Amino acid sequence: MVKARVFLLDYRCLNELTMKKILVIDDEAIVRSSCERTLKPEGYDIKSVSSGKEGVELLEKESFSLVLLDLKMPDMDGVEVLNKIKATWPETKVVMITGYSTVDTAVQALRLGAFNFVEKPFTPDMLISAVKEVFGESDDNSEHITK
Amino acid sequence: MKNIFRNPEKSIAAKLIIAIGLVMIIVTFLFWYAIRSKQKQDIMSIALKYGISFMDFAKRSTHSSMLNREREEIQQTLENLSTPVGVEKVTIFNHDGNIKYSSSVEDVGKSIDKTTLACLGCHPKPEESPALLSEPRQWNVYKNQEGFTALRIVSVIPNESSCYTARCHAHAKDQEILGFVEADLSLAILDEALLKQGLALSAYVILFVLAVSTFLGIIIYKIVSKPVQVLVNGMDKVAGGDLNHSVPIKSTDEMGVLAKTFNSMIHDLKAASDQREKWTQMLEKEIAKKTEEIQTTHNNLMQTEKLASLGRMAAGVAHEINNPLTGVVTFAHLLKKRFPADSTEAEDLNVIIEQSDRCSKIIKNLLTFARATPSDKGEVSIHDLLNRTVFMVKNQEKFHHIKFNMNLEDSHPVVYGDATQFQQIFLNMFINAVDAMNGRGNITVATRKVQEDSKNFIEIEFTDEGCGISEENMPKLFEPFFTTKPVGKGTGLGLSVSHGIVKHLGGHLKVKSTYGKGTSFFVRLPMSE
Repeated sequence: MVKARVFLLDYRCLNELTMKKILVIDDEAIVRSSCERTLKPEGYDIKSVSSGKEGVELLEKESFSLVLLDLKMPDMDGVEVLNKIKATWPETKVVMITGYSTVDTAVQALRLGAFNFVEKPFTPDMLISAVKEVFGESDDNSEHITK
Repeated sequence: MKNIFRNPEKSIAAKLIIAIGLVMIIVTFLFWYAIRSKQKQDIMSIALKYGISFMDFAKRSTHSSMLNREREEIQQTLENLSTPVGVEKVTIFNHDGNIKYSSSVEDVGKSIDKTTLACLGCHPKPEESPALLSEPRQWNVYKNQEGFTALRIVSVIPNESSCYTARCHAHAKDQEILGFVEADLSLAILDEALLKQGLALSAYVILFVLAVSTFLGIIIYKIVSKPVQVLVNGMDKVAGGDLNHSVPIKSTDEMGVLAKTFNSMIHDLKAASDQREKWTQMLEKEIAKKTEEIQTTHNNLMQTEKLASLGRMAAGVAHEINNPLTGVVTFAHLLKKRFPADSTEAEDLNVIIEQSDRCSKIIKNLLTFARATPSDKGEVSIHDLLNRTVFMVKNQEKFHHIKFNMNLEDSHPVVYGDATQFQQIFLNMFINAVDAMNGRGNITVATRKVQEDSKNFIEIEFTDEGCGISEENMPKLFEPFFTTKPVGKGTGLGLSVSHGIVKHLGGHLKVKSTYGKGTSFFVRLPMSE
């Protein structure tokens, strides 16, 4: 039992060290699955929830390195969730996912402490490069994709 | 003049003429009657004088014959006395009425009619009593058998000393009255004269009345009737609405004053009417202006509201589509990675990716239209931007046969706004111009400073030589999704987006077009102070 716990702890440490944990909060299932399918093969640990409330609940249980956060959601607004994350888990980075119409808000979100934002519709390359930027990983493709 | 008497109860002149005429006829008739009576009276008294003098003459002529009882002589004298015209009969009879001598021999020896003047002159009832009248009558007038007026005079032959002392002693001394001389004098000549005079007088009177009536009539017609008629005509005309009419009466009498007052009244009325007309026109103009303003405002509001709701809808749709589009793009990419780059599958997936990318661009355009684009505002040099945009489009194949004429004004106008948005407007203008000209011709770009409501604007003119815009298309020009380009070539958003941007900045976009000759767009943007 003790062994198992140690293993578990070790696994967690290992997990935190090697597997970057990413939480996707988006009310749209297709966006969530797009993120999962794009980032999982890149070696990221992806979890996703469909609302800000669920996201916060999950964040209270687990820690994440990065949250991909949709700006517009029905129950809890993206900016609200961002504020909460910045206040409660300041080391967790946030990348906003935004529709074109809400870019103004995204800029505002950057000011509030979001690391970056990705415009919908995004290609897998765009998403990967944005995530890699967060973790400080250089990517050969990133330059021409983000610009 | 005839009109006056057609309806005399309606004409003052006719009433006056009739009244004056009647008075004149009555008065002149009275005069005429008085003159006639006086004439008759005078003539009668003259006749009487002559008659009495004739009686004296008759008595004297027979006096000596009487004294000498020369009966034949007396008879002869009487016959002689009755010869002149007018003397009909001379008779001498005694107090008992026995005719002793007469110019009509057959009467001698007859008794006189006791109902004649000879008896009744002194005795009121000669058959009953010898009583005398207090004032004896010596003469009377009657109508003789020929119907002429005749004068009968009876003269007393009084007793005198030579009579009762004469040789014959025919009369006693105490006898007062010896007899009477009676003469019947015809007044036929006088009758004729009177008749002639009467006729002449009547003729004069009638002539006088006619002359005076005519004269009065003319005067009344001239002074009263005609001016009144003119006034009435004038009033009729004015009542009919002709306020330019004035009554042409220049006299200084009451009529003149009336006409003058009337004219000045009409003048005032006209002035008031003109003023009212002017006010009405002004009011109508004002109302038309206000109505137009309201209409314009309403249209603008409608347009704005339409654009706004369309924008909201577009934004909503765009946002919603972004999510599935993300899925399509992601999974297409993921799928593509499973196939070699030169495989048919990879190419097909590329089509999906390209078309998704196209969808994404359309959505971006829609969102620009909804003015949700992030804007990078700042001071923009319009001339630099125009030159850059022209330089940029010149390299495009579409613009290879286009000549740009740049007439930019000397200063460097600066406008506060988003350069990208301005460039979007300019590009729109150029693309529309090229499409209108089928890729060949001149595009003129001109700028000028203008003042509007004491604000400085820069006006940018884009003129092409294209097909122009038909009148029916004009009102729809700025409507979103309105396009005359073939399906797939234009979205119909260019002008409405441009319009939206310019309006948002406080400027406006106007268009002038001659169908078949070309179009000019005028973009006015407020200049930075």
